[in-house]
Amino acid sequence: MNLLPWIIAAWLAAVGIFGIVTSRHVVHLIGCLSVVQSSTYVVLLSVGFRAGAAAPIFYDKPPGTIAVDPVVQALVLTDVVVGAAVTALLLAIALQICRRKNTLDPEALRPLRP
Amino acid sequence: MSPRLRVVLLAGSFAVLAVPAWRTMQALPRFGHHALPYGDAINAAAPKQRHVTNMVSAVNFDYRGVDTLGEETMLLAAVTGTAVLLRGQREGGERDRLGPPRPHGGRSEAIVLASRIAAPFTFLFGLYVALHAMVTPGGGFQGGLVMATALLWVFLGDGHLAWGRLVRTGWVDACEGMGVAAYAAAGLGTMLAGGAFLQNVLPRGALKSMLSGGLMQVLNAAVALAVVAGFLTLFVEFLKETAGLQGETE
Amino acid sequence: MTILLGLLYVLAAAGGGCVALIRDPRRQVMAISANGVVLALLFLALRAPDVAYSEIVVGGAALPLLFLVTLASARARSQDR
Repeated sequence: MNLLPWIIAAWLAAVGIFGIVTSRHVVHLIGCLSVVQSSTYVVLLSVGFRAGAAAPIFYDKPPGTIAVDPVVQALVLTDVVVGAAVTALLLAIALQICRRKNTLDPEALRPLRP
Repeated sequence: MSPRLRVVLLAGSFAVLAVPAWRTMQALPRFGHHALPYGDAINAAAPKQRHVTNMVSAVNFDYRGVDTLGEETMLLAAVTGTAVLLRGQREGGERDRLGPPRPHGGRSEAIVLASRIAAPFTFLFGLYVALHAMVTPGGGFQGGLVMATALLWVFLGDGHLAWGRLVRTGWVDACEGMGVAAYAAAGLGTMLAGGAFLQNVLPRGALKSMLSGGLMQVLNAAVALAVVAGFLTLFVEFLKETAGLQGETE
Repeated sequence: MTILLGLLYVLAAAGGGCVALIRDPRRQVMAISANGVVLALLFLALRAPDVAYSEIVVGGAALPLLFLVTLASARARSQDR
């Protein structure tokens, strides 16, 4: 039971990569990439967790209360926002693929055909 | 490489990685009882040193401020790449403006009313979250996202013509660049004042007040501006892709 | 590790599995939205309110919009030909 966070993170990464490898639609592939990203968020926040502690906001608690780690939360926070922007970039590339090759199937795309 | 071979290779690599992964999981400290020296040091020192109560904002904008500058640049790069890709392909003129509204079945009055009521309040809430970065959970990133999403209510309720009138592309582009430039300029400004890059040289203010933290307020405002403008650019570029297309979507 | 936290972890795993294993892109968008909400609840239970804020907005509003607009553009463009 204590290994549950790591098992869940490994499962999320594995199922995301499986989805990418067996994908038949580029937009579905980009969605699976976001699943792989979420596995890293789960790992980081689970490492920073402390049982019985409070959130690292000392507005209504005196400073010095036992709190969880704020550094990993700062990492994950900026990662979520920038990840959304990068996903938008990938979707723009997918639109370009649709325009040029008239297909959205990764199996039908061949690299660098002249 | 056929798909079946690819799946077989994937299964094989998972099998090879499973044993070291299992042993690593068992060697980690117990969940909830990790040693967190860096986090404890920041929790102990930041309220006294920086007069803020939101430790995550203190880490983002002060203790690891340079990392946030890198994240800002990543955001700018992704948004610029998307804009270049999508604008470069449009023929200019015909689809570069949001065109006339396509005939559709009519929007329900309830949706229009709800959108018109919800949009300014959501925007105000986003502004509140962005401003109270130093005291309560929130900050430039979160508040900027909420503000950008609040303007989607306008699109939902009044269609993309009203959206086009509200969101001017020139202004939004300028705000995006100014947000990142303001962050970097704040860092260089502290060097002119005699400190290190991004050193907190402004007066710190009182604990638990909205205007505390010194230079963190400036950096927080720059981040909020960049995030709002960046996501608005993304939304506008993608919505312009659907302008001029036939079909029941809008 | 309380029961609530364990349940939320399992729910997050189910959400991630749904997103990856649903092949139809339009249904996957709804799964992405639900996954965002579940992940935000998990982050809240892990005492991270700032992260939960970002995840709700990104997973619930920003990403589904981008995905739906991309799908609409791609479908309409392929219908034009």
